[in-house]
Amino acid sequence: MTWETVIGLEVHVQLGTRSKMFCGCATSFGEDPNTNVCPVCLGLPGALPVPNGEAIRLGVRGALALECTVHPVSVFARKNYFYPDLPKGYQISQYDKPLATRGRLRIDSPERGQLEVGITRLHLEEDAGKSLHDRFPGLTAVDLNRAGVPLAEIVSEPDLRSPGEARAYLTTLKQLLVYAGVSDCSMEKGHLRVDANLSVRRVGAPAFGTKTEVKNVNSFANVERALESERARQIAVLESGGTVQQVTMLFDAATGEARPMRSKEQSHDYRYFPDPDLPPLVLRAEWVEDERRRLPELPEAKRARLVAQYGLPTYDAGVLSSEVALADFFEELVAAGSEPKAASNWVMGDVMTSYNQTGGFPVSAAVTGAVIGLVKDGTVSLQAAKKVYAELVTSGGTPREVAERLGLIQVRDESALERWVDAVMAASPGEVERYRNGETKLLGFLVGQVMKASQGKADPKGVQPVLLRRLSQ
Amino acid sequence: MSVRAIAARTGELLRAADARGLNAVLHWSEAHLEFEAARLEGQGPGPLAGMPIAIKDNIATLDLPTTCGSRILEGYVSPFEATAVRRLREAGALIAAKTNLDEFAMGSSTEHSAFGRVLHPMDPTRVPGGSSGGSGALVGAGVVPAALGSETGGSVRQPASFCGVVGVKPSYGRVSRYGLVAFGSSLDCISVFGQTVQDASRVLATISGHDPLDATSLARPPMAVAAPRADLRGLRIGLPREYFPADLDAGVRAGMERTIAVMRDLGATIVDVSLPHTQYAVPTYYIIAPAEASANLARYDGVRFGPTRPEGLPDVGALYRTTRGRGFGPEVRRRILIGTYVLSAGYYEAYYGKAQRMRARIADDFRQAFAAGVDLLFTPTTPTTAFKAGEKTEDPVQMYLADIFVCSVSLAGLPGLSIPVGRSEGLPVGGQLIAPYGEDERMLEVAGTLEGRLDATAEVR
Amino acid sequence: MRIGRDDVLKIARLAELAVDEADLPKLVEQLDGIVAYVAQLDAVPAEGDIAPFVPGPESVAWRADEVRPQSLALPPGAMAPAFRNGFFVVPRRTGMDEA
Repeated sequence: MTWETVIGLEVHVQLGTRSKMFCGCATSFGEDPNTNVCPVCLGLPGALPVPNGEAIRLGVRGALALECTVHPVSVFARKNYFYPDLPKGYQISQYDKPLATRGRLRIDSPERGQLEVGITRLHLEEDAGKSLHDRFPGLTAVDLNRAGVPLAEIVSEPDLRSPGEARAYLTTLKQLLVYAGVSDCSMEKGHLRVDANLSVRRVGAPAFGTKTEVKNVNSFANVERALESERARQIAVLESGGTVQQVTMLFDAATGEARPMRSKEQSHDYRYFPDPDLPPLVLRAEWVEDERRRLPELPEAKRARLVAQYGLPTYDAGVLSSEVALADFFEELVAAGSEPKAASNWVMGDVMTSYNQTGGFPVSAAVTGAVIGLVKDGTVSLQAAKKVYAELVTSGGTPREVAERLGLIQVRDESALERWVDAVMAASPGEVERYRNGETKLLGFLVGQVMKASQGKADPKGVQPVLLRRLSQ
Repeated sequence: MSVRAIAARTGELLRAADARGLNAVLHWSEAHLEFEAARLEGQGPGPLAGMPIAIKDNIATLDLPTTCGSRILEGYVSPFEATAVRRLREAGALIAAKTNLDEFAMGSSTEHSAFGRVLHPMDPTRVPGGSSGGSGALVGAGVVPAALGSETGGSVRQPASFCGVVGVKPSYGRVSRYGLVAFGSSLDCISVFGQTVQDASRVLATISGHDPLDATSLARPPMAVAAPRADLRGLRIGLPREYFPADLDAGVRAGMERTIAVMRDLGATIVDVSLPHTQYAVPTYYIIAPAEASANLARYDGVRFGPTRPEGLPDVGALYRTTRGRGFGPEVRRRILIGTYVLSAGYYEAYYGKAQRMRARIADDFRQAFAAGVDLLFTPTTPTTAFKAGEKTEDPVQMYLADIFVCSVSLAGLPGLSIPVGRSEGLPVGGQLIAPYGEDERMLEVAGTLEGRLDATAEVR
Repeated sequence: MRIGRDDVLKIARLAELAVDEADLPKLVEQLDGIVAYVAQLDAVPAEGDIAPFVPGPESVAWRADEVRPQSLALPPGAMAPAFRNGFFVVPRRTGMDEA
């Protein structure tokens, strides 16, 4: 009996603003508890919300990047429920008139290839504070620093059909939003949170099965694991004749499984209504168009251009465009004279390694280009160049100076090469004889011996002609 | 008079009011009055020149508590002040006291305060009106020349009418709501009592004007202080027939007729108009206001501020339920429940959705009446003079009907005011002027003119 | 009778309001009376689609993204009924998890 999995994802991203959604408190991370607070985000009697223009702008950019329809009029609504880290007893969100609807995101499905996933909506809302249940026994500790931070909620259509696709969706979405400057999407900092909905049905069944929601997943890899575990659980339930209950599951990273929440399941009646403290959000068409024009080149377009403009393989374009900084670095290298494929190899290799370690480029594009140039003109071998680069990363300097200091300059001087070649030929008379008798593949061995004799300093491109000349004498 | 002298005199008057058991005031002290006097001495007189002003206790102040007449906020001192209060202080007002009110501004008689009812300044067996009854009574008793109140459905105009003082509700959005404890956010307006129209107008000129802290505040400059017109020639005043029912109280009717005669005498043209959806105003209001209130009062959960916590609560749900169950009085609980009900799943369209549309029709009635060539509307403020304490507390709906002439104005967001037009059997009668949205100054000018020609203390019959 | 005892209990739960058993009958009666009163609006047919009306500005004005917190004359700890090591604290039933 084959089962089809249906997955939809709700992603909350923290918009990259300095201040909160409805007040001037800072959104900074890691402060002492309850220090980034004011009457508004504390929900004190008499306080009122005023929206952050930058949050609106970033929400619109995200919507445009996702090819959504941005609505000229949208409405903030109150979502009413009680929770200790929800100061007003309602969250200001958007309900039936959200900022944007009907977008799409193209992803690479591990099973189905290129896939277009529908984006149902993107709306703006404020975050709640943080509840810590394990800080003090028998108590919940509440920190409202996060209360009021601006979020965009992005809801996908239930178009995903596997945990792998869910993961691909998240990776692609993150990359897009980082490119568009909407959010840093850092899950470690809690700037991106995922709620996953999953149901299963028999292949060909017309209706969706009952879905469960999985929350509290802290990485994309764990989203995939959690969904795999939940899919397996639902299938097992259904195959044994049971029915799936619509519950919310919490993911436990230690076990890799999701289990139903033990708290009393209250079906929430959120009693949404338009927030009377906030007139409608009206966006002028010219302003939205302006934001569309100001969007940077997005990942898909960049990949296509890297292939077309530089003749790079698709794989290279994909790796280089994984982050704007890497792609920009690559283009700087080429602009400064490096040959595209060489530049690409370097960026995908050593440059990216140090970038991942340091978050930056300790060796500038100009200097990296110079290193590549040294390989191209034969001054150093490729292996030597990597050593030079590593030294530049840790200690700086200039490439030629470092190569000299480390003794990595390749020797191309004819007389030096001849000396080594003569020495090797003298030391390997048997092989020389056999070569002269027709075993031409011994050339490689002899070149290798010369390299050994020169302790790697000989330029292999120069060794070969000298050796050939001597061997034919 | 020096500010010290003003402070001393105000203290004497507050003490006398306390001695009478007026119960109009929840917080005042000699020390605070001295503090205010010292502040003003240092600051200079400003345009308000030391005018002592009382503040309804649902408006946030820094130096006196803000309880909203509720146990749930007993002892609560706000860590920020309302924009209106800040503007008053900066203009040289002396903040005299915080006044008693119906709990969370929900009521029409100030009998629903957790801290006891307020007496009518002329007859202790009667109510001063509500919810801003404390402010109204204090001005009516001559203790302060002006006071801030708040309106959601008429809570300043109605007590102004009962207490024989001027009560002015501005156009929605002309006075910042920042620091006004929210009840019905789309209706709430900080409003002003004055012994005279001039007093009220000076206060409004000070507190009005755009506030970046309130997203519903209009991008308009403050109101000008209104000067009374010499006469009312060229003015067309409409009388909406729905506000003059056949069974209108005889004293109120006499007061209206007297005033209309004065208007004609001053050269105004009196026109008959109709506001056909008037009968639906009170039920519409009692859907919208409680709905918004049910959300606005959700923040009173005992977590970040509030009463001392009882011991032995098993979980946070118990904390919510006991804090709110004990902290809120019966009228507030009723309104929260009604509000929750009309917003709940399955009922939204039938109640809230419908009420919002009816509200649009009510607003449209006014717009059409004004568009037909009427400059102001004139009506009774209240269907009766001040009623007896305890008369309407048994049946909530009976109490709601006290707002019948004022709450449509609130629903439409229009500016309205009440001026005393005379007495009926010793009790004040109030007449209401209503202006188009944004034309607050016009109604204040005309009110000033009428005030100069009416003897508010004379019997109307 | 539009609103009954069970309705009232359900709404009270949504609103996190404790209702005393003793008060319940009178409360139900009063709420039912209020609901019956406001239900007058039922008599008005739903004519066309008149847009809901809210006074005030027609569109919301935005503020600049600046860190300019409004000051608190009292710190959170001074206002809180229970505060520990910088946190607001509330009672928690052990063994429960919430999302």
